[in-house]
Amino acid sequence: MKKRIPLIAHDLKRLYTAFIITALVLFVVCSFLTEFNVMTLIANSDAFWEFITEDFFPPALPKTSRIPGVLSSVLVTLALAMSSTAIAAVLAFFTALFGSEKVSPFPRFAKVVRGFATFLRNIPALVWAFILFSSLGIGTGVGFVALCITSFAFMVRAFVETMEDVSQDCVESLQAVGATFPQRVSQAILPSCLSGFLSWFLYCVEVNIRASTIVGMVGGGGVGLTLFSYIKSFQYDIAFSIILLIAVMVIAVDQITGKLRKEILK
Amino acid sequence: MSVNSKENILVLNSPKNKPKRIPVKCKQTNRFIPVFLIGVVVLSVLSLVYLEIDWIKMFSRIPQIGEVFWDLGHLDFANIDLIFTSLIETISIAVLSLLYSLILGIIFGMFAARNVFNIPFLSVITQSFFTFLRAVPTPVWVLLMLVCLGMGPQAGVAGLCVHTTAFFTKSFAQSFESIPDETIEALEVTGANKLTVFTNAILPAAVSQIVAWAGMRLETNFSECAILGMVGAGGIGFVISNSLQGYDYGTAGVAILLVFIVAYCIERIFVRIKKKFA
Amino acid sequence: MQPILKFNNVSKHYPNGVHALRGVSLDVKQGEFISIIGPSGSGKSTLLRAINRLIPISGGEVLLDGEVISKQRGKSLRRQRRKVGMIFQNYNLVYSLSVVQNVLHGRLGYMSGIKGVFGIYSEEDKQKALDLLKEMGLEQFSYNRASDLSGGQKQRVGIARAIMQEPKLLLCDEPIASLDPSSAKTIMELLHDMTQKRNISCMVNLHQLDVALKYSTRIIGLSKGEVVFDGPPEKLTDEMIEKIYGTSRDNLMIGGNADEKADTADCA
Repeated sequence: MKKRIPLIAHDLKRLYTAFIITALVLFVVCSFLTEFNVMTLIANSDAFWEFITEDFFPPALPKTSRIPGVLSSVLVTLALAMSSTAIAAVLAFFTALFGSEKVSPFPRFAKVVRGFATFLRNIPALVWAFILFSSLGIGTGVGFVALCITSFAFMVRAFVETMEDVSQDCVESLQAVGATFPQRVSQAILPSCLSGFLSWFLYCVEVNIRASTIVGMVGGGGVGLTLFSYIKSFQYDIAFSIILLIAVMVIAVDQITGKLRKEILK
Repeated sequence: MSVNSKENILVLNSPKNKPKRIPVKCKQTNRFIPVFLIGVVVLSVLSLVYLEIDWIKMFSRIPQIGEVFWDLGHLDFANIDLIFTSLIETISIAVLSLLYSLILGIIFGMFAARNVFNIPFLSVITQSFFTFLRAVPTPVWVLLMLVCLGMGPQAGVAGLCVHTTAFFTKSFAQSFESIPDETIEALEVTGANKLTVFTNAILPAAVSQIVAWAGMRLETNFSECAILGMVGAGGIGFVISNSLQGYDYGTAGVAILLVFIVAYCIERIFVRIKKKFA
Repeated sequence: MQPILKFNNVSKHYPNGVHALRGVSLDVKQGEFISIIGPSGSGKSTLLRAINRLIPISGGEVLLDGEVISKQRGKSLRRQRRKVGMIFQNYNLVYSLSVVQNVLHGRLGYMSGIKGVFGIYSEEDKQKALDLLKEMGLEQFSYNRASDLSGGQKQRVGIARAIMQEPKLLLCDEPIASLDPSSAKTIMELLHDMTQKRNISCMVNLHQLDVALKYSTRIIGLSKGEVVFDGPPEKLTDEMIEKIYGTSRDNLMIGGNADEKADTADCA
């Protein structure tokens, strides 16, 4: 038989084949470990469907006396996300100044600062919440701190990257002029990076709206806790309307931040 | 931040008290930014007031945080086999949901992108449906799947898939739409149908972006996955929450450390891959 | 002999009120090499795109190989389209794929559903693509990414892709506008040779009058969407040129470059 004519270069083909084989192996191994099978899911789809149509639809409103409580819990979630992100942003800004070798007055410690941020960032917000719950007790304040920690760590990284991208040249030139550290920050970094910082800040608000709902579920208060209690008491139709409410809240915030971001980057 | 916003406002107001100051900033500075900054400050203060956090109580308990960390630091490897199997389970859930969502995301992304089938109605419907799915946080989906499928990793995979697919649909559609119309035109004039154009031109051109999105998502999926256990879907999260609630800080410490190490490794690997592709 | 392409009183106006084509009628016979010239906005690009229905026309009809293409849709339109190859100013290759894969895209119109979707080409087609690349002098780049090539090379791949379609008619939309003079010459010569050898009719939109005069067997002059000249290059008098461009030939030679840039901007 004649040899088949290849379509792509040999080494590229090997790379792709390796990639696909890895993916397949991972797929098989993981399916085995988690015992997840699409077929069973499809086989059970009628029970699934029944559950959705019977228990969730139509979405029902909670008792009239509870509605103000639900709405105020939405406000708590929003407030939690907003305030924690703002505080974290201020802290992250000052920390990020010391996290970039090019900007920091103590370049040697930049790595330490970044490492610290990496450590904080790679532990999920909910884990922080659990650690704090066991030391500070359950409450909104703990949710606030947990959100603060992760968004602080995230923004330190984002801010450092923004600074390294944008302001390298102007920082150097101001250094050459003989400007002091605070002068460099206020005259070079802030003007050139502010819009980038704010854009990351908005992104963080979006993330935190979702995260604060989650942290709420395990005891941080807010609409997450409300949802959790309805699910636990098997009132799925009410839970579904709360889910819709959460979706509306998140989409609204995304829309607003999207608009604001456009204005800022103008 | 507030100090900075005041400074900007002074500059903006400078025409009013003109004789003294010579303006140095260019005139088209973004007037929106100071307004935005003030808005943020006001909103945050209002939020803090609304939340009524008992700061005194919080601060008085700060030493306890130190204690907890001290306890966490005393790593206890007695339950290492349990921790390890649940960690593997967590990684499996993350990878599996990623793989399923990749395929689903490409399919739905194809419908959601405006330039593939050129049916605006279809794109709008797909996009708004997945916007809804994306807007609801993952643990909520997992909770619902737990109710439908019962406890265990199955619910975790299914729940994560919902959110990940929604995320991929949006981002892949964006990547597909960024391919120039002329390239699509060039294949259309060969007489190829829309699906063929998609698989032969749009998809290959978007592959590098798809890899980047997938990498980014694996990071999120892993940390989401670590959370899932806390709401009851098995995996390492269950170990962490369980041992924290049972004051078994040593075990929790090991588990948290492992979560950190894996998350960090995933992040590093994808920074590498991204550099290679760029 | 039946003409390959026939325009019957074709007109096109855009929603914004621009009349790109007004009552254009013309025939194209097999093996002709036609240059279409005219100032920016005279409807050159619209004329070409009306042929394979990339732009739907507003009046009249376009007959390709004896069939009305202006009313066809779906599968029959795709079948008609594969008879017409097209070459673009910006090459429009898929840059993340290999050169061979890009050339083979020319076969997609001939392939059945599933094979086309997964890009499973027959050995015959692959061999043909490699031979074609050899003829173009690109064989050593066959397995490079299309993005690695220079502009002239990319355009050669574009030509190979169009030839792979085995078209009866080749449309070239400003094929050399983004190229340096020496690559431009190679491309024009290649276009001329390939189409003459295979007896393919070729229609080229051009800005460079001298190039048009050198290669064409026939020149069509467009002005404000109307055909003002249609004949062999010898008959294109200075007077005629002035009528097409609204300026004298001398001005054209100096102003040619600026004009070209303006048109590129228009296209974008």
